[in-house]
Amino acid sequence: MDIVVCIKQVVAGDRVKIDPSTHSLVRSAEFSYINPFDLFALEMAVQLKKEHSDSITAITMGPKISEEVLWEALTLGADRAVLLSDPRFSASDTLATSYVLGMGIRKIGKFDLILCGMRTTDGDTGQVGPQLAEELGLPYIGAVEKLEGEKGLFHVERVSDGFREIIEISAPALLTISSKTAVRLPSLVEIEDIFTRNSVECWNLEDLNADPNKVGRPGSGTWVEGLAATPQKKSCIFIEGDTRQQAKVLLSKLIEKNLLS
Amino acid sequence: MARQFAKAELAPIAKEIDEESRFPWEAVEKMGPLNLFGIQAPREYGGAETDSISYCLVIEEISRVCASMGLMLAVHNGVVVDPIGQFGNDEQKTKFLSPLVAGEKIGAFCLTEPNAGSDAMAIESTALREGESYIINANKIFVTNGGVADVLIIFTSVDPGNVKKGFSAILVERGTPGFEVGLLENNCGMRANPVSSIILNDCPVPKTNLLGREGEGFKVAMAALDNGRIGIAAQAVGIAQGALDASLKYAKERIQFRVPLAQHQAIQLMLADMGTMVEAARLLTLNAAHVKDRGGDLSGPSAMAKLFAGRTASRVASMGVQIHGGYGYSKDYPIERYFRDARATEIYEGTNEIQQIVIARELLKRGED
Repeated sequence: MDIVVCIKQVVAGDRVKIDPSTHSLVRSAEFSYINPFDLFALEMAVQLKKEHSDSITAITMGPKISEEVLWEALTLGADRAVLLSDPRFSASDTLATSYVLGMGIRKIGKFDLILCGMRTTDGDTGQVGPQLAEELGLPYIGAVEKLEGEKGLFHVERVSDGFREIIEISAPALLTISSKTAVRLPSLVEIEDIFTRNSVECWNLEDLNADPNKVGRPGSGTWVEGLAATPQKKSCIFIEGDTRQQAKVLLSKLIEKNLLS
Repeated sequence: MARQFAKAELAPIAKEIDEESRFPWEAVEKMGPLNLFGIQAPREYGGAETDSISYCLVIEEISRVCASMGLMLAVHNGVVVDPIGQFGNDEQKTKFLSPLVAGEKIGAFCLTEPNAGSDAMAIESTALREGESYIINANKIFVTNGGVADVLIIFTSVDPGNVKKGFSAILVERGTPGFEVGLLENNCGMRANPVSSIILNDCPVPKTNLLGREGEGFKVAMAALDNGRIGIAAQAVGIAQGALDASLKYAKERIQFRVPLAQHQAIQLMLADMGTMVEAARLLTLNAAHVKDRGGDLSGPSAMAKLFAGRTASRVASMGVQIHGGYGYSKDYPIERYFRDARATEIYEGTNEIQQIVIARELLKRGED
């Protein structure tokens, strides 16, 4: 069985810089890492691999420095890594990104499952997974916590609105993963071996045979017009009196603000 | 990996193990499978056989969070595993290296005595030949990892009348009759590392445990220390980086005169100097590692790295305390731990002054081109 895991390089929260002309994130290798939700997707693939000797391909779209996260994916259990990188891909919104990823996965060819993180910690749209399923015409289940199954048929668990849903889905399919599985750390031996034996393949627009009008700004259905931090309003109230009185005042204030039902 | 490990396993306990002077077995046991006990050791003995640059990065990341564990690994890898790999014969490597590399056993390096340290030739310990054994008598002090070590390199003399001629390195196992762990040192910093004295009292050790040849001990010690200094330099860089991390965090949080400290130019000037010193120390350290990887002469570069990185750790941690003000003097903030831990890096594995002697000797030897 062959699994493709889509990963994204995200910027550490306190290192976010915005390019004033494009309103997009400035990415640098030093303060970037794999989106944590994609790590869960990768770990789920690794668990499946243990049972069914699958192959895992990690794929990402981004500038050349995004290669870093693919190397990390290799050390965490991916067998192959593909970087989709072309200056014409920059400023892609989720729609254009899904198109590029879709073309990359078409070029990879063989797959039974595509796993994506449910959302990212930077853009936080949660759109790329479902849009990619649409692009490739695949059945899709979001926010998956548990995945079991053999080639062809999978049982999937997701929690939604307080209900645990168990769904059967046939391959090929796309799932977004929300489980928070602890990721196993690779040993130094594994890291050394990966860097000696593996490589990251890099494909551009021509390699993908992609339509230039469907990528980057021209291919995007949305673009960010402005971006500004919203001021966070916090106020601090000191409650006087002894503990009993303080508790009473606190309770009445919480009820007053409808914070207790 | 090292950064993630330190963050997940060491960050939550670093304060507590320092306060309790406790060796954190629960975290140490997880280091073996990650190859942290045999970072550069040969693959055939279970090591990761990385280059020295990777070694420095691992030690730095661990020390950035917990200097005591950085020290434990730097000593184990740098002055125990490495010299056994370099000077040991195949039998010794199989017997000692494999369990050390797996993390089943912990190593220690015993040179310093009450009347010898920087002056290594002043050791008073003796190893007298008796049949197939050496009978060792030694009083070793300030032994890093001493309280938990299973395999110790003991520097002693097989010729009590002529220490220079008899200076030898012998591998001694914990549990040998006459082997005793003395009192743990009540140190100012690195308190989670059980630094202790080691006493050998008529301790019989097989002659096959001799590392290198009789009289080669000084060569073993100097090679180990040249190498070990890179690890300690990396440890000092880690402490300095950790102190800088803590100071940056605090400077952004603490409000004085209605703005965060970080907006005051006086604080910015300090942070700028701290950052620059850390980066310079890191590059000197990585340069020494690079020289080692190329097989160059290590003495000068590793002494320079160790001297500068140790001073940097102390200076940066001290400036960090200054930025923290009164809170920097309190145990409620991690900066005081970095301040205490940093100071040792100017003393052990050769004091600043010994590094200066080595550096000057190397410079003068080179002469004029």
